[in-house]
Parts: sequence; structure tokens; C-alpha cells
Amino acid sequence: MVREDEESTVSTRNSPPLRSQYPADSTEKHVEYILVASFDIDRGSVMEHQYPSAISGDETMLAELMLPDQAHVRSQDWTIFFLHKDTSLEDEEREARRAKKRRQRQERLAAENQEDATARAEEYDAGEYSDDYVSDSDEELNRADDPDGPPLVYVLNLVNTKQDNTVKRGAIVKAMAICTRHSFLHIYKPLLLLALEEYFRAPIMETLASLYNALNDMDLSLMPKLSPLESHVLQATDSKDMFIEKFDQMIRHRKEIEAGKESQRTSASSELKPKPYSLPRDTHEFESKVLYNGIPVPIKVPTALSPETVGDFSLIKLIQTFSTPHTTQPQPFALHPHLTTSGAFTHPIIVLINALLTQKRIIFLGHNRPSGEVAEAVLAACALASGGILRGFVRYAFPYTDLTKIDDLLKVPGFIAGVTNPVFAHTPEWWDLLCDLPTGRMKISPKIDAGTANSSVEFFQQQGIPVPLAGAAQAGFDAKGAVDPTGDNQFMDHLLKGIASRLGENVIRAKWRSWILRFTRIATAFEETVYGASALYPAGHDHDEGAYGVSGHGYVWPDEASRLKELAANVQRIEAWRQTRSYHTFKMDLARRWHKTFIHDIDLAHQHDRLRCLRLTHEQSAAIYLALARVVEEAGRPSTSDSEDDQGLTLDTGRKIAGGKAQYDVILQILSVIPDNAGLFYIAMGLFHPNEEVRVAVVKLLERIMDHAAGRHLWASLGRFAKLAFYRLKREEGHVRGDGV
Amino acid sequence: MGASISKMMNKIFGSKEMRLLMLGLDAAGKTTILYKLKLDQDVTTIPTVGFNVETVTYKNTKFNVWDVGGQDKIRPLWRHYFSGTQGLIFVIDSNDRDRIEEARTELTRIIQDREMKDALLLVFANKQDLQGAMKPKEVSDRLQLEKIAKDHVWKVEPSCATTGEGIFEGLAWLSNNVKMPAAK
Repeated sequence: MVREDEESTVSTRNSPPLRSQYPADSTEKHVEYILVASFDIDRGSVMEHQYPSAISGDETMLAELMLPDQAHVRSQDWTIFFLHKDTSLEDEEREARRAKKRRQRQERLAAENQEDATARAEEYDAGEYSDDYVSDSDEELNRADDPDGPPLVYVLNLVNTKQDNTVKRGAIVKAMAICTRHSFLHIYKPLLLLALEEYFRAPIMETLASLYNALNDMDLSLMPKLSPLESHVLQATDSKDMFIEKFDQMIRHRKEIEAGKESQRTSASSELKPKPYSLPRDTHEFESKVLYNGIPVPIKVPTALSPETVGDFSLIKLIQTFSTPHTTQPQPFALHPHLTTSGAFTHPIIVLINALLTQKRIIFLGHNRPSGEVAEAVLAACALASGGILRGFVRYAFPYTDLTKIDDLLKVPGFIAGVTNPVFAHTPEWWDLLCDLPTGRMKISPKIDAGTANSSVEFFQQQGIPVPLAGAAQAGFDAKGAVDPTGDNQFMDHLLKGIASRLGENVIRAKWRSWILRFTRIATAFEETVYGASALYPAGHDHDEGAYGVSGHGYVWPDEASRLKELAANVQRIEAWRQTRSYHTFKMDLARRWHKTFIHDIDLAHQHDRLRCLRLTHEQSAAIYLALARVVEEAGRPSTSDSEDDQGLTLDTGRKIAGGKAQYDVILQILSVIPDNAGLFYIAMGLFHPNEEVRVAVVKLLERIMDHAAGRHLWASLGRFAKLAFYRLKREEGHVRGDGV
Repeated sequence: MGASISKMMNKIFGSKEMRLLMLGLDAAGKTTILYKLKLDQDVTTIPTVGFNVETVTYKNTKFNVWDVGGQDKIRPLWRHYFSGTQGLIFVIDSNDRDRIEEARTELTRIIQDREMKDALLLVFANKQDLQGAMKPKEVSDRLQLEKIAKDHVWKVEPSCATTGEGIFEGLAWLSNNVKMPAAK
């Protein structure tokens, strides 16, 4: 082996095979349609042009969405809306495309294998499991909404009003829209600005065509594809170079291919122009550019996408909008069992999240505000409810809508809609929760369905545990500073303090994610307690009984009393959530994910939580540390233990990578259950365990994590104290064994 | 707190609130009237996409005036604004004889809606400054107000939105004729 190749196998040893998120040869376009609509003084909103062809569906309806209410009072406004395109025909096409893609991939792999001798083993093996690996994550992204229907088409729309004395009635109102299946549609904003300006100059089809072509020429092929776990871990970190190895590998691979091609053609001129490829400054984003009308427009595409995250919005802004009036001058809500879970003075954001989880009809109203602002609030609400975990909100979101759609909107059971027309406020029959953006107040509709009583309330009452009913006689809950059985008040205080101390958007999103995660885990425990089993725990009870010397699963409470108290406090909203779309989708997602995860016989989150939250005996904590270490080591040893040598030198390369890949995934799985801020702290505590066997195992475990593409960043941010302990143990170990590493 | 004090003051000094809906065919002059009321200025308007709504206080009455775009395609949306409306201002381009029939059809549809049964009807015979504009009598005849608005209190007010002629007189008429719901 040549030295260079060795290096490449070292740095990528543990990584799964790399694919581009948006391969250059993909037939899926970045942008599917460009539309232009205008406000005709005689006919109202009309569609002017559509490129490359007419989009299916109601043209007038589209034109109306593109020209939001009061577009005439501002020179510019952005809106976002979604199209639920009927894609039965397109599905077949996509299936055909996918088959073609598979074929191409195999051909390419075969070709590469011939070309590249050293990568042969690696690629061969990649071919082995990349097929299910890649199609898995394909499924995750494209088919993610399978139970609900085809993926949405996201529409980013810009409307301009120009005063023009030469035309009848003195103004031209025109809108241009980009239709894409990418949820990061906000990156196209600068281009839409340029193109609409251009369209005012040249209102012809060619203007649409040149934008369409420029956008679809955007090259994202060097953007590595991440697995869902990798995406999650990347999003949770602030580190700017996590997974930079993957970008590096993509570039190197591209260079190899190009070098190969060059040498085949003209070996003489090959060194003339090596294309400049640079690593990203921040791996959270991939930088590219779009060349439009001779102007290179820089574009940044997010590397890791959470489900239900569309466009650019700010959770911080949403939270602040509705927190400030509540803090300065709290107003009581009308009580509702699903919504006011902490009494009449429940924090509005908690009322909102409850409404989202229990699938209420929610309207964000921004009278005299740009429609872009209400759309942003709706998108933020979707992300709030999802936390990157739950789904089924975006599909029922209408970031901007108006009166023309009201009849259709009211047919949707549970929606999140953005409007600017105050007539919605006058009609409480249309909504359950109205969130008024200018005042920052929320209102529960007097016409809201009261919610049916459920029997699980009795379950807790029979055991003498008080169930907070959102009835009147609950003075204890209403007073400020009173008991907080759901923990929501405390959570909101903590969150607002975080915002006040200028924590970033990512941190706040991570904190919400933890709230949602906690909610789902409480719901799981709730189902197991009340119904004996939970659909949210696909393994069932028998799965976690001591496979690695530890047992138990699910959310961790310090004691039984606090467990029952917290479950009882959540009865109403959990029962209501269990009837919703997001619950059913989540159930299916969990089952699907279950088959993909590598480790089944141990609930890593549960064990880590025990380390984190409980006072354990030395024996108990020893069992957990040893279990974690064993999980990782065993994953690294593929199939039967036919070789004790974990240096892997005697194994053939393919098997080594298979083991490496499994170990890589298991470590990723461990990292993904560590809550934000905790880092490796609780694992590193094992370095101080009185039992030497445990200390040695933890040293080994940490070494594995250090070697890991994502783990090394967590190691880097681990405190000095733990690191010193680690190196001391290493020295002692070396001393005893008499060999270094 | 502040709101409740001013509510009390309103009761004492007899000030009232009134919700008005202003409709009419496109280019009749609705938005110009609205901003004449609001700003007492002649503003150059452009076609309304959707709606405008402004609060105007005149002679102790706070008017919430809704001005909704008039293009024929969006007229079906008008009904969503009916609920809670105490007065309908219907604006006519007095110079547009070709479309007075169309205006009558629309007005009939609105005024006979169940949700509008208690609303006052004020018709602005607008654009009186133009040569050959229809006079109020001609407008009420052509709209057949005697027939279609027989269950309503109605008035036709000649107006010129750009100069303000007739506009405030119309508001005063509405203010004097509104039956306030029993004080809360």
C-alpha cells in the first residue's frame, strides 16, 4: 500500500461510504417551477407565466396566494406556501428514476473498482451495504411522508408593488415564485429579488427560463450525505468542523476522478488548471453559488436538515413575541383541559405547544404586518411542535393563507395557518387558538370543542393521585409560584433566561427538542402505566432484560411517587395527543427506526439518564459503564469472534470496515442520546470509579469515542479534570502492562 | 386598565363604536374615501389587493371602516365581512352608467344577506365632480333602493372623494341613525 492511501483509510476508517446529498447526475431538480402572477385591475389576481410548464392545480388559487392581502400597501413582501401536488404519475416516474439511479450507481461502482485499485476493497464493501444504507436514508428523506402522501412542494414567493404613473390606476403589482422540494427554500431569496426586478424590465417567458436554468445548474454534488443520526449530532453541536473529514473525502474523490479523466485525455495539460475546491468554513453549511445573468450569487445550503424545518425562522423570535406581554402583564386564559395544563396562567408558549400536540386549529394573525412575518411564525410553530422528532405539522400548515381559502381550510382537522386579515379574529368559529402577533397575545376560542373525558383520569384518581383538571377549582395551579407538576413553568423560566443571556437559535432549538423528547418519553411511560404496554416502545418489555448486564428502559424518575405525579399532570394532553396524526406518524417512525438501529438490547438513553439523574450505588454504575463499553467493543468485532486482534491488521479490509461501520454507528447512537450540554461528562465520571475494571473499560470507551469523527469533538470539549484523569489512567495502565499505545 | 377607563369615559360622554363595511365595484373610489376620512387628504390610491381597514373617529363615534377590493372575482369574499357589520357604505361611480346594473346586482346580494339584516345602508354617489354624473335621485332609482332595501334604513349621499364633499355628512348620518346595542 502506498502511504497516501493508508492515510485515507485511517481518516475514513470508521465512516460509512459517502454519497452526495444532491448528486450531479440526479434527475431531481433543485427547482421545479417558476411562476409569475400579477394583480389585474379588472380581473384581480391572474397567473401570467409558468415555466417550464403549467403546474397542475387551480391557477387562480395559486395567483391569489402569490398576491397576499394588502400587497398594495408595501413595496415588497415575501410569502411561503405549500402545494400538495397530486403525484401519482410523478411517483411512477420517480420509481423509474430511482431504478435508473441504482443502475447507474452500480455501473459507477464497477467502473471505479477497475480504476482505483486501492479503494477496491472499500468500495466493494460500500457496494454491499451502501445499497441498504443509502436507500434507507433516501427513504428517510423522500418517502418520509409516505403514510400521508407525496412530498410537499414548497413555494417561495416575492411580490413587488411599483408605483407607475404611466399605467391605468398608477401601480403594477407582480409576484414571482420558486417551487422546490427543498425545505431550505429561503436560500433562493437573493435570486428571486434579482429575477423579479429583471421581470419588471422584461416580462417574458425567457426571464423565467434563465432563472430556472441558473438555479438548476447550482452544483451541490460535493455535499456529503449524512445519516439521520449524523444529522442530529451535527445539529446539536456548535463545532464548526464536525464531519469535515466527509467533505474532505468528497473533494479527494472528485479530484481522483478528474485526475483519471485528465490523464486519459491529455496527459500533458493535466496540471494546467486544478479546480479550486475548498473545505467549508462551517460544516453546518455547504457553500455554492448560482450564476444568474452573469452575477455569481453565493448560496449556503444547510448540511443537516431536521424534519419539519422549512425556510428560515426564529424560535427565539416566536417565543419572545408571546412571552414578553405575558411576563409584563399576564392575562388569564379561558380554561381548557388540553391547553391550559398549568392553569389559567399557563405560559402562552406552553398553550401553543399543547394546541399543536393535540392538533387544534391554530391561526397566527398579523394585521398590518407583512405576510412574510406570519409565514415565519407558522414555520417556527411547526418546528416547535416537531423538535425534529415528531412529524405531521408542516403538511397541515398554511404559512400564508387568506379568505379565499377559508372553506377549504375549515375542512382540515387541525391546522396551523398564517393570515393578515383581522376578519379572522372576529370569527372564533374558525379557530381554536388565535395567536395575535402585533400584541403578542393568544386567545382560546370560546367555541372550542371542550374535549371528551377520558378514563385514564380515573386510573390516577383511584390511586389517590390528584389529576389537574382544567376546571375552575384549582387555585393552587393558578397562583404564580405555585406547584408546577408538569415542570413547564420551570422549563419556560429556564428557556427565557437562556434567551436573555443571548443563547443562539441552535441552542434554543436543542432545548425545545429536549422538551419534545421528554414529552414523548413521558407519554411512553404513561401508556405502559395505564395500558400495560406502549406503542412508542417497539421493543416491548422483554427486550431490555439484562442483555449487557443492565436492564430497564424509558424515562428516568428519581422515585415512584414523582413518576406518578408527573404522569398524572400530563394525562389530558397525552390522551389528546394519542388521537392525533403526529402520534400515529411517530409510532410508525419509531417502528421503522427500530429495525435500522444497530443496538436493540439496551436502552442507551435510559442508561445514560440513570448515570445523569440518579444516585446509584457503585455496583449499579459499574454495570452501566461496563455495558456501554461492551456495546461499543462488541460492535467493533464483526459477526463471530474469529479474531481477538482488534488492531484489525490480520482481518481482511472489508470485514474491518463492516465492524468499523457498526462501531461508528453505535458510538453515534450513544452520542445522540446525550442531552445538550452534558457532553461526555457523565461517561467520563467512570474514570473515577472505585472499581479498576470499570476505569479501564471507560478509558477504552473514551478512546473509541476520541477516534470517532463526531466523538472527537465531544472529547475536545470535555473538562480538563476528566482529561487529566484519563491520561493518568493511561500512564498507570502503560506502567502495569509495560507497553504504550 | 387604561382601556377600561376609556370605556367608562365613553359611556359617560356617549361616545360609541361602529363597524362599517365599505363595498362597491372596482375603481368606484372606496379606498380614496377611506383615506379622505382617515387623513382628511386626497391620496392617490392604487388597486386594493384584499382589503384595507382603518379606524376613524368623527363626532364622538369611532368608526371601524373596512374597505374590500372590488374586482368581480373577489366579490364572493365579501360575505366573510358581513358578520357584525352595523353599516354598509356602498360606493357608486356616478359616471359609470354602464355598470350601474352590475352594481345593483351586487348590492342586492349583499343587503339581502341574513347577516346584514340590521345594517344601515349609505350609498355614496361618488365622483360628482365629473361632468354628467348621475344625481342621487337617479342613482337610487337605478339601484331600485325602494325595492331592494325596503327593510333597511338607507340614504344616498352625493359625494366627491377627492374634495371630501359629502363624505363627512354621510358619516354623520350613520352616526345619528345607528341603534347601539344595549350597553354591556
